[in-house]
Amino acid sequence: MVDMLSSATSGLLAFQRALDTTSHNISNVNTDGYSRQRVEIATRLPQPYSNGFVGTGAEVTTIRRQYDVYLGDQARNSSSALERSNAYVGNANTLDSLFANSDIGLSASLQKFINAFQDLSNAPSSTPARQVVLSQAQSFRDRLQSFDNRLTDIATQINSQLGDEANTISSLAKNIATLNGTIAIEQRRTGQPPNDLLDQRDHLLDQLATHINVQIARQDDGSVIVSVGAGQPLVVGTQASTLVAMPDAYDASRNGIAIKTAGSQVDITTRLSGGKLGGLLDFRSNLLDTTRNQLGQLGVALSEQVNNQQRAGFDLNGNFGANIFNIGGVDSLARSTNVGSGALAITRQQPSAGALTDRNYIMQYGGSGWTLQRADTGAAVALSGAGTLLSPFQADGLSIVVSGAPTIGDSFLVRPTHSAVSGMNLLVSDPNAIAAAAPIATKVATTNTGSGQISAGEVLLVTNPALLTPVNLVFNSTTTYQVNGAGASIAYTPGANIDINGWRVVLNGSPASGDSFAIGPNTNPAGDNRNALKISDALNANVLSAGTVSLNAGAGNIIGKIGVATSQAQSSQAAQQIVFNDNVNAKESVSGVNLDEEAGNMLRFQQAYQAAAQAIKVADTLFQTILSAVQR
Amino acid sequence: MRISTSQFHQRALDSLFSQQDALSRTQNQIATGKRIQTPADDPIGAVHILELQRAQSELDQFKRNSDAATARLTVAEQALGDSGLILQRVRELVVQANSGVIDDTARAAISIELQQRASELLDIANRRDGNGEFLFSGYATTTQPFARIGASVTYAGDQGGRVLQVAPTQRIADGDSGFSVFQNVTQGNGTFVTAANVANTGSGSIDTGQVVNAGAWVPQTYTITFVAPDSYQITNSVPTTIVPAAPGNFAAGSAISFNGVQVKIDGAPATGDKFTVATSQKEDIFTSIDKVIAALAPSVTSAPQRAQLTTKLAGALQQLDQADSHLINVRTDVGARLSTLDSTSTARQDLSVDLQAAVSKLSDVDYADAISRLTRQQLGLQAAQQSYANISKLSLFNYL
Repeated sequence: MVDMLSSATSGLLAFQRALDTTSHNISNVNTDGYSRQRVEIATRLPQPYSNGFVGTGAEVTTIRRQYDVYLGDQARNSSSALERSNAYVGNANTLDSLFANSDIGLSASLQKFINAFQDLSNAPSSTPARQVVLSQAQSFRDRLQSFDNRLTDIATQINSQLGDEANTISSLAKNIATLNGTIAIEQRRTGQPPNDLLDQRDHLLDQLATHINVQIARQDDGSVIVSVGAGQPLVVGTQASTLVAMPDAYDASRNGIAIKTAGSQVDITTRLSGGKLGGLLDFRSNLLDTTRNQLGQLGVALSEQVNNQQRAGFDLNGNFGANIFNIGGVDSLARSTNVGSGALAITRQQPSAGALTDRNYIMQYGGSGWTLQRADTGAAVALSGAGTLLSPFQADGLSIVVSGAPTIGDSFLVRPTHSAVSGMNLLVSDPNAIAAAAPIATKVATTNTGSGQISAGEVLLVTNPALLTPVNLVFNSTTTYQVNGAGASIAYTPGANIDINGWRVVLNGSPASGDSFAIGPNTNPAGDNRNALKISDALNANVLSAGTVSLNAGAGNIIGKIGVATSQAQSSQAAQQIVFNDNVNAKESVSGVNLDEEAGNMLRFQQAYQAAAQAIKVADTLFQTILSAVQR
Repeated sequence: MRISTSQFHQRALDSLFSQQDALSRTQNQIATGKRIQTPADDPIGAVHILELQRAQSELDQFKRNSDAATARLTVAEQALGDSGLILQRVRELVVQANSGVIDDTARAAISIELQQRASELLDIANRRDGNGEFLFSGYATTTQPFARIGASVTYAGDQGGRVLQVAPTQRIADGDSGFSVFQNVTQGNGTFVTAANVANTGSGSIDTGQVVNAGAWVPQTYTITFVAPDSYQITNSVPTTIVPAAPGNFAAGSAISFNGVQVKIDGAPATGDKFTVATSQKEDIFTSIDKVIAALAPSVTSAPQRAQLTTKLAGALQQLDQADSHLINVRTDVGARLSTLDSTSTARQDLSVDLQAAVSKLSDVDYADAISRLTRQQLGLQAAQQSYANISKLSLFNYL
């Protein structure tokens, strides 16, 4: 009876624990990161008798949380990937809708600018038409700059977001380190797993993984080692490092991420991946920087095309045109750790638009000379020239002159078009200063007797000092002519180009001997639209990408590239979401609380508890029976 | 598979969210009428639309250019037509003046009308287009092209011809310079021009002549000198040689031929009278009229004076015909340009319709498709909401 009593009591106690745990599960059905717990019940040591082993009841061996480490890790890694996608897509969507509106877009604005030159060519002497050219130039430059400013804003936001992310990660790491300590102590003290503490730590690790990709190593004492990037330890035992946002070594206005351990600080920006932080960094280096450089490329190409042709024409006052646009220069940023006094003076080659790329470069001094490499991939870029003023280094549309005394390892970040748009402004405010006319005019002498005609003439080389020197082509027979009526007789071919002093004319028809054709400065250019048409041609010409892409197509490509990148990021986000859902489902199917299951368990344990209580009652009855039998 | 309670709710909510998202996208498409909301919806389509819109905008610009050219050319054509009418009237007056029954007084009256016609022509040559630019001053459209300075009309414009872009690779001149319209008129019959020496004492008059063999013509100034009333000789100017070597015998009204050309001298030239056959140069229309006025000024009383007048007026008639046919040529050219502008306009309209259709096909939402999708998605969302509400009520605890 004593055995029976004790064994029934042990069952009662065990089922009591089981019911406690069931109610703990029910209470935590909505607790984030909670893993359901199960009471593990085993038989107690049996009592050996000569006729066999008599059971002595049940006992609780442990309370175990239902958690699969492998599934947990999988869910955590996929949440890292998903959060990276979310951060990337969020920012890409911002860019995408920024460039979405075609009415106020780059392409429409550029076409309006080109159309303004066409309108000017219809009425070159009209001040309103000239004014429209200037206002369209201004509005295109404003449009370009407003996009550029938005990109700068986004970069600034990312800078502060990086700081927030670093703080969040550091505080999570600190909490994990604290829990590491508590878990190790509790586990050593009781020899049992501290389930709820383990859940809390796993939940913190889950949260950490949404910010950055982590690697986790589990130790025997129950603690974990957490590392980020390429194995940089974030948490070791109870020690946590901190992540900080720090200015980039080349560009102080741009934040990177460094890990701070015991006083030393290491820049790990390029090694980080995954999570919100990874998504922000990827977006910045893949889409934001490239888009900004492409806007710059467009600005550089446009101003070169307009300025070069503008300088080759005459304005309304009969003077050579001056540049319409000023454009920002090439960035050359010295690394903050540079020791030597070396400096780079970088200009764009003229014309550069076809050779410039949307990439940034690192220029490094290696002791015996300079090397140039792409900033994103590190691939070497060939440099020609010697780097001197007379023979500058040349690569990808850039012309680089080095000076000073660099030390081995000194390097510079070279950004060909990054600051082009922000430095872009209009140099002309006088409508009369637009060079719509060609600087030269041609004339058939009124005394000519032949039917010879001369073309209107075009300028090939505006820098030719003799461009405006009057020249007469005088025929000394019907088939030959002399320049200014002297010197060698030149054979006349109708329709052939005649190139002298930087201009080109074409003669046609049958001139008579003695006929002359004059080429000289355009003395009254008011109604001349030749240069306006040439500027419009220059704006329609294929100038980008080694002369294969027009400015308009270039503007379209910027929008297209953002669209493609965003759409790719969206589909990869959708795929990540599915993977994440699957992994979470798999993990939850092991760890999650199901109320129906708990209801069943409750019934089961309640019945077992009642049965054990009945057994105690029976033992008591038996005991009373014996007592009454021996009671005399 | 075992499903946790929170997971059950989460899954149901996730599916509600995604259905709501799809529904809102469709609703947005229907509300804006645009299939592509941002470039990411269809990057290739979005860039294609941009290119089509650019082409449309360029086309609109070509239309504006074309309209500008048409307006200017129409005004120019009118001016050319008006100039032609004046030349006709001048020609009539010259014919009238050449009649033998007209006396000095009548000629003076004709001369006065000619002067008025000349100034009317000058006014036409200085016409402006709708923008206030001079029609006939070349590139110097703000400079008045023609002015009477002293005895003659001078041209202050240049020889430029502005062209406008009316199609991607087509440019059309929107006018002609005053030089090419009013000045660049060939003299005489295009090869040579005849004249009588003002000091002639006989009554011989020379006609305007004709070219019988263009290949044999050597451009020069030739002088036909009468060495006797019935004998002449022809001399070259540089170097002075006699062409042909032997003097010719003269009979009134018979042809004198040399070097591929043929002229006729009527009347009775006196010994020492001279006639010239000179290479044609260019003569402006104002000069031609001025010459008629000058020819009508002297009084005609004697036979030699009558012969001078006859020679000059014959030359003037020929010159006026030259000028008239020159103007007709220019006008035909302008007409051809106007007709080209007309046909490019038709082509442009067709292209514009095609472009709009293409843009609409790419960017506009297909309402039938979108609305049926909306209905489907609505139904799906409704079903999901209802089933979630029903299933989530199920719990074993309800029965304990």
